[in-house]
Amino acid sequence: MSLIGKTSVRDNIRITEDSKYPVFRDLYTKQKKAVWFPEELNIQQDVLDYKSLSPTEKDLFDSAVGYFASSELLVQNVLGNGFFPVLTDPYAKMSFSTQMFMENIHSDFFEIILNSFDLDRKSIYDLTLEDDLLKEKQELIVRAVDKITYGKADPDTLEGKKQILTSILLNNIIQEGLFFYSAFAYFFAMKDMGKIKNVVSGVELILIDESLHLQNGIEAILTIVEENPEILDDYSFIERVKQSIVDSVDLELDYLKRKFGGTTIFGLSYKELELYMKYIADRRLVELGFDPQFNVLENPLKFLQKEDVKKLTNFFEVSSTEYTNF
Amino acid sequence: MERVVVKRDGTVEKFQMKKLIDAIFSLLDGLDIPDDYEIVFKIAKELDLKIPEKTSTENLDYLVLKAIEHLIPKSLVYDALATRQLLKIINRKIDREFSGFKDYIEYGIKEKLLKPDLKQFDLDLLESKIDYTRDFNLDYFGLSTLRDRYLMKDRNFQIIEKPQWFFMRVALGIGNNEAEVIKIYNKLSNLEYLHSTPTLFNSGTLTNQYSSCYVNVIDDSLESIMEKAREIAFLAKYAGGVGTDITRIRATGSKIHSLNAKSSGIVPFIKIFDSIINAIQQGGRRRSSQVVYLQPWHLDVEAFLDLRETTGNPYFRTPSLNTALWMPDEIMRRIKEGEPLYLFDPAECPELITAYGEKFKTLYSNCIEKAESGQLKLWKKIDSQDFYKRYLFKLAKTGHPWLTFKDRHNQYNPCPDYGVINSSNLCTEISIPNSLDSTAVCTLASVNLARHILESSKQIDWEKLKDTIDIMVVALDNILDKNFYPSEESKKNTYDLRPIGIGVMGFHEALIKLGIPYDSNESVELARQIMSFIKEAAYKKSEELAKERGPFPFYKESYPYPPRRNAVLLAIAPTASISIIAGTSSSIDGYFSNIFSRDTLSGKFIVVNKLLMKELEEKGLWNEELAEKIKAHGGSIQYIQELDSKINKSLYKTAYEISPYRQIDIATAFQEYVDQAVSKSLYIEEDLRDEMDKIYMYAWEKGLKSTYYCFIDKTVKGEKYTLAVNKRGERRGFGLSLEKAAKENSEETKACPTDPILAKLCSSCE
Repeated sequence: MSLIGKTSVRDNIRITEDSKYPVFRDLYTKQKKAVWFPEELNIQQDVLDYKSLSPTEKDLFDSAVGYFASSELLVQNVLGNGFFPVLTDPYAKMSFSTQMFMENIHSDFFEIILNSFDLDRKSIYDLTLEDDLLKEKQELIVRAVDKITYGKADPDTLEGKKQILTSILLNNIIQEGLFFYSAFAYFFAMKDMGKIKNVVSGVELILIDESLHLQNGIEAILTIVEENPEILDDYSFIERVKQSIVDSVDLELDYLKRKFGGTTIFGLSYKELELYMKYIADRRLVELGFDPQFNVLENPLKFLQKEDVKKLTNFFEVSSTEYTNF
Repeated sequence: MERVVVKRDGTVEKFQMKKLIDAIFSLLDGLDIPDDYEIVFKIAKELDLKIPEKTSTENLDYLVLKAIEHLIPKSLVYDALATRQLLKIINRKIDREFSGFKDYIEYGIKEKLLKPDLKQFDLDLLESKIDYTRDFNLDYFGLSTLRDRYLMKDRNFQIIEKPQWFFMRVALGIGNNEAEVIKIYNKLSNLEYLHSTPTLFNSGTLTNQYSSCYVNVIDDSLESIMEKAREIAFLAKYAGGVGTDITRIRATGSKIHSLNAKSSGIVPFIKIFDSIINAIQQGGRRRSSQVVYLQPWHLDVEAFLDLRETTGNPYFRTPSLNTALWMPDEIMRRIKEGEPLYLFDPAECPELITAYGEKFKTLYSNCIEKAESGQLKLWKKIDSQDFYKRYLFKLAKTGHPWLTFKDRHNQYNPCPDYGVINSSNLCTEISIPNSLDSTAVCTLASVNLARHILESSKQIDWEKLKDTIDIMVVALDNILDKNFYPSEESKKNTYDLRPIGIGVMGFHEALIKLGIPYDSNESVELARQIMSFIKEAAYKKSEELAKERGPFPFYKESYPYPPRRNAVLLAIAPTASISIIAGTSSSIDGYFSNIFSRDTLSGKFIVVNKLLMKELEEKGLWNEELAEKIKAHGGSIQYIQELDSKINKSLYKTAYEISPYRQIDIATAFQEYVDQAVSKSLYIEEDLRDEMDKIYMYAWEKGLKSTYYCFIDKTVKGEKYTLAVNKRGERRGFGLSLEKAAKENSEETKACPTDPILAKLCSSCE
């Protein structure tokens, strides 16, 4: 039995001690430990900050919230409707359904932001329809996933496997591992300037979650490839996989250029973000076994090193992200 | 791309990198740096990416600052440069507005920001005593913190106070005459000691509220609850943290005679305080805070443990409130010896509330007898071990409630006839008798031990330490008479007892300077030595003051100690914010990490252990590779082999690397000579979580009065963003396909030889 295949509801309901894919057991445990709830963060404190943002800052914040708000449950749909039904391993199912659960938390968190900041729900959700580039970012995923949902892809055929692999690539690597990381950067820049700090504390928690989801995706893709080495014989398919990562970087850069072109917002310039996106994309490529395409060796956004080190919070001042629920 | 700068007067000018580079060079003036070109080049490189097509002079200044700030983890020099750039930004604006310190003070008085009586001092004399070179005592994080929250702002929220003016303004609000003001200014501006945050905020201003902590008691009546709710709101408004004893409030199901109904217990009333605290934001400079204390024999204690849970019924949750247990020895003994716990309704067993020690033990046994013989309506018997484990689980999970020891606090009460010590305060370092009509107040200041070291002989500068303590006692005692008390109850307590709290910070930094590892017997011994010295000096000064100014009014000749000015003098606070200003390790804690980030109201800052960086730079060991390694090890250097025998690694052990038992030993050594308490946070590695029961039992047995936050090192972290990607090891992923393709390509070009003789030598043809 390989990681993906046709399954019935009776299958894969027993956990075994010697998991065939111990990596998914680990990822399940890590995600379990990372679980948090939006109520832990007192974002009410940020309302005054939000009101004092400049129009460009507000626009950036709103569109980031709008993009996340309409993407979290999309990610969940892709997994729930497309990928989960073809998973054959109990731990892999647990790992991916934990991810699906976490998307609820994120969605809930952005919902609380909408309410607390008194944002216009419709216009926030409509952002991904009205902004052509945001729309394209989402369509990219939707198009691929439409091909595999409701049994349209047969996981027992090579073609079906490739389609499923593509949808996970778009969902967990490109959406969660590239597009989301672009927004992380400017959220963190806000906190770096002392603004909207409690919302950003929540985004820090989302980053932890997303880096685990990214690992879910990478492990699934590598496992599918290893179990089906014939995929590797289709050079044009492999080329397309690589190209889709490169193309999404271009798409994201178009979007960033529109938002940041010629100015700095929260101390960030387009040129920095461009290098940053390329740096992140190289990491994704290398993680999948490709050679880096952009050769940006150092993360240009140096303030992000604050995310890489131990964190100490002044409890009286900012919501802490360091307690564990498990 | 053509870049332009919009100048302050609105004119537009072509952006010139050269001008900017000259400005950066000027920051280096006076710093003795050999490779200045390289440094300026690095900053310019950072900047080039940041500067957009159109920018303003002001934004340019800011971008320079950010560019330098991001380089701080690379070398110590960037910290100094960032500080200088920030000073330039602050000062330039103020210089346009004011001709000097006196001008600023007069403006502040006119705008009703500062107290008019500041004018009675000889401001010209004081202005001449200001030493601007002391700005360089501050590091970047410290100065940023001052700028964002401490420096006085005008009505349009623009900063109008230079850092040295700030120290002088604080001193002006404390000293009784010019000589005292100058002494205090000198100590503060040299970062030898600092007052607590409310004093730094409000000294010399019309707000005039200097105290950090208030501790009150709520009685079991609706009148009392609502009166205290009002008091708490006003205490919180003026930047004080409030500790409140709620043990008297009757338990769920207890009878309310006047209504012939049953009580809904403590939780709905605690919710009131949660809402009040959340409503009062202290002008955004600090969150208002309160902690509620409950003795664990209270029947509602189980619901109390859950208050800080984030899920469940929101009516039973208090997200903005802190909680703490006021633990009697008898209950710890029962936990230790596995005897059951009995929970009671304070309305039925009121005698337990103020009793402690042997008396509590007797009364508690009596209550148990009454319960078992059917004489009590409300009680519950629970397994003490289960309770303890459940409590510790909540502590690790939610950070609450903290554990403090009722009997230990009361054992050292200087005036037991005034009242019992009903609870501690927000940070658990206060230990002052109080009562329903007397709210304890404490005004705090902390000496920076790291600034009391004779660097040449690696000794503590005892003489200087004595001098500092003397001034601190006078300054804190002065404050008691100048302070604004938000309630009558708090005024009464101060006027009866005149309590002050002198604490310490920079202990770990001092240890490193002395070459003593934190995790050692010597450090425990030094803690004892330092605190006993501080106690002796402080008491002596307070006794002297008693002769001059009279003893604290409640003092009685029958007391077993000579008259002194203050009933209590010592309390070790966490110094979370002021240790940042002083640029040192907080309180008596170990360095959190050698590189870590800190979330504060001013934003997020990266903090490096400067002493470590300095030693490594001096020994020529510092480089980017090593910096990355330290980062990859979560800020620890203990596993970096290349540093073996090059430096004394044990000096730089970080908070989580120091055994919790040793952390407790050090806190206990301080506690022996602290008449109030030590607020001790414990840092526990996730691996040691199973030992929490032992660790907290040890804290009790060793005689700590209080513990505070329990930090547990979280193991699940986000992707390490700025570090090189993990190698995939054996897994090749799509790379295999590329290799295959490459191989096939090369095989095509190197086809087998057609010559039959050569073919015999070809391995693939055989």
